[in-house]
Amino acid sequence: MTAQESLNLINEVLNNSRKSILSKNGKHFILWGVLLTIVSFVIYELWHTTGNPNWNLLWVAMPIIGFPMVIIISKKDADTPQNAISRQISGLWLAYCAFVMLIFVASVFFLKPMQMNLSLIIVLLLGFTECASGIMLKNWTIIISGCILGVGGAFAAQSVQSAEQLLLFVFGGLIIMLTGFIVKSQYK
Amino acid sequence: MFPKLDPLLHSELRLAVMSILAEVESADFSYLKKQTGSTSGNLSVQLDKLSAANYISVEKGFKGKVPCTTCKITETGMEAFHNYVKALQEYISK
Repeated sequence: MTAQESLNLINEVLNNSRKSILSKNGKHFILWGVLLTIVSFVIYELWHTTGNPNWNLLWVAMPIIGFPMVIIISKKDADTPQNAISRQISGLWLAYCAFVMLIFVASVFFLKPMQMNLSLIIVLLLGFTECASGIMLKNWTIIISGCILGVGGAFAAQSVQSAEQLLLFVFGGLIIMLTGFIVKSQYK
Repeated sequence: MFPKLDPLLHSELRLAVMSILAEVESADFSYLKKQTGSTSGNLSVQLDKLSAANYISVEKGFKGKVPCTTCKITETGMEAFHNYVKALQEYISK
């Protein structure tokens, strides 16, 4: 092998490995995006129809359905390792989930209804996490989507009330799903 | 004067394995086989050579009931890989 051939080989192997690792991340984005869209739309419909905000407790369906599905997907890709980027993205989204679950539980137990604009906080964090993922993946579409979702969503959460706020999460779910398809096509 | 290229790394399959392991924390035998497109026998021989030079560590275990061989680059291996890439770049730039 010449020096140039060796360098080309290193580049090719690294690129192929990176693609196979990061395309796996795309599946997770699609899974959570679909789940968020469906759950938020179902809660919106139930709240809107019955006028009962207690349907918000159905949000627990997200981790109950989501995490077992993550385990099933991960088992299918068990031989695909993690690299620094995929590990950081997983860590970032896990931190987001932890923040959202803690703030949701805390608000249920310690706050009176509507004392805190939960939707604003959650959608802002969602946009931030999406944007940070875009920075790690070096993808401008994801970065801009995250900014629109976070900043636009926060303003929208202030402007609309009760059940209509859930439509923000339907939009958020669609953005995350779109991110998944972008990641899968970028690293195909 | 050109720096000497590490003969252990100057082989297509061993270099491919080291490139993958330099990027990930650890990788299964099946993943390395799939990414390099090599045969099990040839990959096994090359992994033994890299392991003997302490460039990688090889751990044999089980994933459920299925045997699984996990490879990880060592500090010595990472240093050798960096030096190899540096040497290649010097060859090309001169």
